[in-house]
Amino acid sequence: MELHILEHSLKVASIAKEGIQICTHGLIKLAFLPSKTRCKFFSLTETPEDYTIIVDEDGFKELPQSEYLSVADATWLALNVVSGGGSAASSQPIGVTKIAKSVIAPLADHNISVFMLSTYQTDFILVRERDLPMVMHTLSSEFTLLRVVNGETVAANCSGVTNGFVKPKLVPRPIIHPLSSPSNMFCVTSLDPDTLPSVATLLMDVMFYSGGGKEMGAQNEDSGHIRFFSFSLIEGYISLVMDEQTTRRFPNNVLFTSASGELWKMVRIGGQPLGFDECGIVAQISEPLATADIPAYYISTFKFDHALVPEENIQSVIGALRTNESTGQ
Amino acid sequence: MMGSSKPDILWSPHHADRYVICDSELSLYRIGAVGTSEAKAGALLLSEETAATLLAINSDTPYMKCVAWYPKHEPECLLAVGQANGRVVLTSLGQSHNSKCKELVGKEFVPKHARQCNTLAWNPVDSNWLAAGLDKHRADFSVLIWDISSKYSPEAVPAEKLRLSGDADSGMVVTKPLYELGQNDACLSLCWLPRDHQKLLLAGMHRNLAIFDLRNTSQKTFVNTKAIQGVTVDPYFQDRVASFFEGQVAIWDLRRFEKPVFTLTEQPKPLTKVAWCPTRMGLLATLTRDSNVIRLYDMQHAPTPIGDETEPTIIERGVQPCSENVISSFAWHPSTQNRMVVVSPNRAMSDFTVFERISLAWSSTTSLMWACGRHLYECTEESTGGGAAEKDIATKMRERAQSRYGHDTVQLWRNHLLAGGTDPQLRSLWYTLHYILHRLSQYTEDLEQRQQGSKQSLIYSGIKNIIKSSSGTTESRRCWKGSDRPTDVAQYHSEERSLALQLCGWISCGPDVDVEPFLKSLEQEGEWERAASVALFNLDIRRAIQILNKGASAEKGDLNLNVVAMALSGYTDEKTSLWREMCSSLRLQLKKPYLCVMFAFLTSEPGSYDAVLYESRVAVRDRVAFACMFLNDNQLPRYIDKLTNEMKEVGNLEGILLTGLTKDGVDLMESYVDRTGDVQTASFCMLRGSTPEVVKDPRVQCWIENYRNLLDAWRFWHKRAEFDIHRSKLDPSSKPLAQVFVSCNFCGKSISFSCSAMPHQGRGFSQYGVSGSPTKSKVTSCPGCRKPLPRCALCLMNMGTPVSACTGTGKSDEKVDLPRDKKLAQFNNWFTWCHNCRHGGHAGHMLSWFRDHSECPVSACTCKCMQLDTTGNLQPSDNV
Repeated sequence: MELHILEHSLKVASIAKEGIQICTHGLIKLAFLPSKTRCKFFSLTETPEDYTIIVDEDGFKELPQSEYLSVADATWLALNVVSGGGSAASSQPIGVTKIAKSVIAPLADHNISVFMLSTYQTDFILVRERDLPMVMHTLSSEFTLLRVVNGETVAANCSGVTNGFVKPKLVPRPIIHPLSSPSNMFCVTSLDPDTLPSVATLLMDVMFYSGGGKEMGAQNEDSGHIRFFSFSLIEGYISLVMDEQTTRRFPNNVLFTSASGELWKMVRIGGQPLGFDECGIVAQISEPLATADIPAYYISTFKFDHALVPEENIQSVIGALRTNESTGQ
Repeated sequence: MMGSSKPDILWSPHHADRYVICDSELSLYRIGAVGTSEAKAGALLLSEETAATLLAINSDTPYMKCVAWYPKHEPECLLAVGQANGRVVLTSLGQSHNSKCKELVGKEFVPKHARQCNTLAWNPVDSNWLAAGLDKHRADFSVLIWDISSKYSPEAVPAEKLRLSGDADSGMVVTKPLYELGQNDACLSLCWLPRDHQKLLLAGMHRNLAIFDLRNTSQKTFVNTKAIQGVTVDPYFQDRVASFFEGQVAIWDLRRFEKPVFTLTEQPKPLTKVAWCPTRMGLLATLTRDSNVIRLYDMQHAPTPIGDETEPTIIERGVQPCSENVISSFAWHPSTQNRMVVVSPNRAMSDFTVFERISLAWSSTTSLMWACGRHLYECTEESTGGGAAEKDIATKMRERAQSRYGHDTVQLWRNHLLAGGTDPQLRSLWYTLHYILHRLSQYTEDLEQRQQGSKQSLIYSGIKNIIKSSSGTTESRRCWKGSDRPTDVAQYHSEERSLALQLCGWISCGPDVDVEPFLKSLEQEGEWERAASVALFNLDIRRAIQILNKGASAEKGDLNLNVVAMALSGYTDEKTSLWREMCSSLRLQLKKPYLCVMFAFLTSEPGSYDAVLYESRVAVRDRVAFACMFLNDNQLPRYIDKLTNEMKEVGNLEGILLTGLTKDGVDLMESYVDRTGDVQTASFCMLRGSTPEVVKDPRVQCWIENYRNLLDAWRFWHKRAEFDIHRSKLDPSSKPLAQVFVSCNFCGKSISFSCSAMPHQGRGFSQYGVSGSPTKSKVTSCPGCRKPLPRCALCLMNMGTPVSACTGTGKSDEKVDLPRDKKLAQFNNWFTWCHNCRHGGHAGHMLSWFRDHSECPVSACTCKCMQLDTTGNLQPSDNV
């Protein structure tokens, strides 16, 4: 297995809902006019609370300084696991589940905070730049570490400094934060970048104008609908996460769908904003899912985390997580 | 929506007249000669000779991303189309729907997760296999190999799950691929390896090229590289693969896959297509975005990775198939050599054949070969007897070498006859050299005239320098011979001037200044006009008239000469006479230059003889002689200088008379060689050079070496040896030093200490020559330690050397009058041995042994001595 350390220096920011109109110019440019910026990594996720932006340094320049824009102080680096494709074993666990044991758990054991972004194409594990030596030390035993420098993939030298690193605490990880599962179902999809202009206005409408004030009150209802939409344009690839109702607004054959037309249910993690320093949250969720061999997407936002699991598995997921919850307490 | 996409073009793999243009739809065209398809309306002109007719259009497949043509003959127009959502659809064009095709057309192959299909490739052997390369999906494979014959698998997709695919005709949908490869990566391009059809070369987004073997998909060979677009295998060299990235093409050798064998020069714009020519080995065509140039790279002679670290020899050039038009795509014709069709973004097409580079080579014997494409042409000089066109200088030199041109060292002037006797410049040159040498031998004979040693070099240095040293010129007015009337023509005399006249050949040596012998010789050769004018210039009108009469009455004589004689006899020095007036105007109509100058002389004012001096058709030596007689000390050097420069400029060998064999002469010879390439004459002439400086001149050495090489190239080895002997006689410094010595096995001393010069032959097979007297006495032991010399492998006798072996006397003894077999016997006695196995013996024995055998005569030695000798197997093309 290879772990690629990508060269993007990423910022994680939050835009308050009421301040979104200040930023729309920059966001539209980043999302729909990639040739006008040098941005290679852009992700926008709308939650009931805010808009979370993950963007590289070139893209960050497009956003205005504003009181509505709060930025996490660290610079993040994206990690990407490449299986190397050799094994053709069928029914591989999908997404976060696949890397839960190999990446997320070891990082949690070493008290490294991670920020997850799953897309249609792959999973990005964001770690703070300052944690990188520790990350490399932690993962060097499992992975071939490769670093992307100026577009070239080169072997990353893992300086074998082990002194001073905290010994991993191999303890069970109970689920600490409250969980909720909204009632709407989600699609993880993509589209051909060539067709993006034809649906750009629709996407803008979905991104910026569908969050009506009336939904604001419903956000805390556990079983109610949740407003959740994610758009990312990373290295030319588009990934979209939206609920089923929103997909119906798109013309036929524009969105990429799986042959089985799978739908996903969300598990929302956190009762109050999680912050960036706590570690082990992703591991708490993904490890039980991996054990149960349930595929999942995982999208971290500025305040809360979101896991997507297959709709048919939602009961077993809740079951598994509840078990973990109870053993933890 | 897809209208913006640029059209691509595909040739049918089996129908050489059909191709498909694909942009938003597929259009099938047939290409044919203009005449045949002209009748049909709407035929598009592709070139001056060819036109294309649209046969069919297929717009069933929107969102088209890539297309691949079924590689087998039947069904003929089956195409696989990869779509933006990753589905692969089989479709067909212009088909009368036969059963096999019908079953396949419309069949769809759907990946689990939709994403763009980047590339498609049919397996060249198992043509049911279709590999599709897709974009990345987090949980899916990027390479799916579909079996187009597989049936719809009912277990795969429940009906309700198909709600998003919106496909009613689900019976034609296949969702289970035969193989899945490349997880968590995108596949940007792929190709099957022709050497092993189970192997697939993939280029993934994570900057690697990987080779998968379908028999064991868990193993792969891969290499990290940026060049991951458009992998394509060289059809002529199945281990060679080209791939590209942005503006750079990398060439790989699959046998050494770690790094590219080489990369081509980077283009400023990103590449869009890279394709090997299917009809020409090692020719790669590349196209960059928005360009009107297709760049061609000829790597026919590019190194294999085994011969590492050599600079690849790639010939790059660009072609513009449709002048200013930007090219969208191109496709090589599958069978016609170097032909391609290009398509521009507005779908304008043109048929184009890349002209093959011509390579050309001269042989050493005037024939010329050139190759263009698959054709080889030879052009040889036609040896018709008449020879309207002048023969090539190489042919001339060959013929002259065979007639021993240059080797007549006694009567030098005869060399021009050996050269064919037709070239006036060579004639003049050899006469000049002859007179120089003749004069020189006179000086050396006059032993008491020691003080004239300086004259010796003066003779070599040409009339130009002789005249400069002139002093004590006396002026005289002589009378016309046989008349008392004094002329008003002033004549000049000095010792130097008469030396110059001698070199011109007008007068012979000694105190005698009579031109009569010269006139006689001219008469003998039938040069009547020349003789007459020389007589006239010596103020002997009667003699001139007599010569002309003789000429008129001679066999095949020109009767007009009588008329000229008549005109001459009327000469009067009356300035205003009618004779003078008529002669000076009518002489211009005379065709013969010598007759012309005769009247010019008679009618000119004293002291101004330009009409004679600048009559270029008159031989230089005659004009110079004339100048020496009639120009004063001021005029003469000016005239000579001017003439010398003129001769040097045009490289006229007649000018050697003026320059002599000096640096000036070398300059003149240089421009002669530049003009004619005749290094043979240059070599022979300059070897006669007086001072070592002349022979040492790098230009002279260059001519000599080139002439020797030429003789070698013609396999005129005996001629070359003869030339070397000739050269060493004239230029003792050119004698090669001994390069091979035979040392005694026991004492290590050279057994040939008394012989300094040894012929050196060949590389692999050296002979040691024992020159010397023809006596049979031999030394069979080392002169140093008296131990016996090795034995000949054939006769088992000890090798021997003649007792009195000494080159000094040996040279002169080596006379031509030795009987032929004895001369050979000398060579037969030579030591000879093989550098490889070190066995050897008498040269004669060895030669006769290897005439019938290929292996060494020593038993148990399997060395193929003679075959190791590259030149030993060649036969000389000249005979001794």
